Amino acid sequence: MRRVLALVMLVWPFAATAQDQPLADVVIGLVTLQDDPRYIQDWGYARLIVPPPVRSIEGAQMGVEDLAFVSEAMGLVPRMETREVAGDDALPAVQELIAEGALFVLLDLPGEMVETVAAAEPDVTLINISAPDNALRMQCHAGLLHAYPSDRQMMDAFTQYLRFKDWTNVLILEGENPRDSVMADAFVESAERLRIAIADRRSFTLAADPSQREGNNVALLTGGVDYDAVFVADSRGEFGRYVPYSTQEARPVIGSIGMTAEAWHWAMERDGATQVSSRFDQLYGRHMESVDWASWIAVKSILQAYTRAPEQTRAAMTAYMSSDDMALDGSKGVQINYRPWSGQLRMPVLLATADAVIVVAPVEGFLHETNVLDTLGIDQPELSCP
Amino acid sequence: MRLLPAFLLAMGVALPAHAQGTGNIFVSLERSNEIVVLSPEHEIIARIETSRRPRDMHFNDDHTLLYVACGDDDVIDIIDMATFEVIDGIPTGPSPEVFAFSPDRTRIYVSNEEDSTLEFIDIATRTVAERVPTGAEPEGVINSVDGGTVYVTSEVADMVHVVDPVTARVTKNIIVGTRPRRFIVTPDGAELWVSDELSSEVHVIDTASQSIKEVLSFQPPGFRPEDVTPVGMAITEDGSRIFISLGRANHIAVIDAATREVEAYILVGSRAWSVALSSDEQTAYVANGLSDDITIIDLTTMTPVESIPVGRTPHSILVDD
Repeated sequence: MRRVLALVMLVWPFAATAQDQPLADVVIGLVTLQDDPRYIQDWGYARLIVPPPVRSIEGAQMGVEDLAFVSEAMGLVPRMETREVAGDDALPAVQELIAEGALFVLLDLPGEMVETVAAAEPDVTLINISAPDNALRMQCHAGLLHAYPSDRQMMDAFTQYLRFKDWTNVLILEGENPRDSVMADAFVESAERLRIAIADRRSFTLAADPSQREGNNVALLTGGVDYDAVFVADSRGEFGRYVPYSTQEARPVIGSIGMTAEAWHWAMERDGATQVSSRFDQLYGRHMESVDWASWIAVKSILQAYTRAPEQTRAAMTAYMSSDDMALDGSKGVQINYRPWSGQLRMPVLLATADAVIVVAPVEGFLHETNVLDTLGIDQPELSCP
Repeated sequence: MRLLPAFLLAMGVALPAHAQGTGNIFVSLERSNEIVVLSPEHEIIARIETSRRPRDMHFNDDHTLLYVACGDDDVIDIIDMATFEVIDGIPTGPSPEVFAFSPDRTRIYVSNEEDSTLEFIDIATRTVAERVPTGAEPEGVINSVDGGTVYVTSEVADMVHVVDPVTARVTKNIIVGTRPRRFIVTPDGAELWVSDELSSEVHVIDTASQSIKEVLSFQPPGFRPEDVTPVGMAITEDGSRIFISLGRANHIAVIDAATREVEAYILVGSRAWSVALSSDEQTAYVANGLSDDITIIDLTTMTPVESIPVGRTPHSILVDD
């Protein structure tokens, strides 16, 4: 009896379904940057952990595992192949992954590096999983998709909510990092579209020099002007954390601190989000962050294309991913796919505090002629390829 | 009328008006941790405190017991229908969501959302007889009409696993639409219907060949395809009509099962999920997950007649017929 049982246990339960199909290796590439400044943990003073400790391979790996049954049924053997680059040029690493057989390569790189790789048009479909730069979405690079939300998608989420709350006059505080002014510019661009007024745009500094107190004292920075909300553009996060509860007027703080715009948040609890977050927690012992979600959904989109596109060629699969034929589940309650014009993944954007999702944009009442998700981000009529 | 248990009579226990075959309506409330009971006249007559996050519910054969899967306490509570109290519980794997009984009622087949298994639990011994690995986030579970097959959906893998209950092995995986949720089987056993929440479809599977026979889609006036998120389904006893909740499209579709024509779209509450029918099939009950209410539909006129607030996040509806 015991022997029979052991035999039964040894048989892979799905062997019967897979054996009639030839197995196909699916190599999915991932390129990361050694010492990526965006993930460095010690910018902050006194061991303050500012950026979350992200390892983008983890979300990707969970995507492979989540779809193991589909891969099995389809006779696919997916495998992540990673390269960490040290310099500014990620193209050789991408070429290596192509040589390994990858038709898709995830890029967890700063925007400038994504731009360089995409401009070279390697024979592969690239999926940007961490760079929010609007400019990347406006270059019309063939074969470049974006699973991470653009600045415009995130800023449109903020401005829709500001409009909804009738908080229509905003004070901007921005830091000295180049990324801070990019964020502030993106907010201004979105605010203009929804007629949100900018009360003032002020720069802050971390220097404690009393002669610079107009720039390092939050009360002074937020005084002498009327506003309904404060938008903080502080990519390093060290200054921003002192802004809430310190403003001259009692006003909500949004942007890099207070209420932030995210592709994912652990406190999201509808539409199966809880199950995704708890799988991630169990696997890696930490919360799933927006970049993790982007690498997870990028892999899911690739494997769904291998399963459902008319052919398993790069062209057919990429076209499928950027069409309404793909109904991808990002566990945010709606079907999503990549925009054919910018390669940007359509998605709901979460506006969240440290421990709650306050609203999921598109905010109710914002409508679009074809797809409400296109109220967030660069819409087709706005885009003219260079 | 079913007979009341003799021992209750012998013990002189006061018999509640709400026993078996009463037409009472049971609604599980995920976030209130209770089941609300409504009379056939739609009055709230009881609230039964349960373990945390009650979801799918089934009666035993004579409707003296109600079983409810409680996702956050990893248990199927057993409720005495005479006293409306939880009297026992069957431990399960993590986060039980939907379950079915084996045809001989000796086993429970339950989908455990968080560890991706279909568990076979022996009811007498309370032990796990089998654990069948499934794709991530398994949900809908149903028996074939002859009891010889169990079907389970995986919401993440977008597939229906066909499981042989004797060997506890998956014999086939059928890829359906995106985020498949629930099932119905037609009374003749020939068709298995699967709701695909995020691709806005219903897949009809031919059970003999275990292959997809037809893909249906729905679009109530004024809604876009992506607004339609089908989840709950119900079928009349003669199999002639099928009711499908369209989730965020806030409507129920009434389908002629033979022609697949939509007979009506009926407006209900926000994110309509579970749908159930009264025994005379004159009334449909719909649980609305985001508006915390149920909608009562008069099926003779195909119109919603009443909305009743019930409590936080209604999940399933069951009618004691």
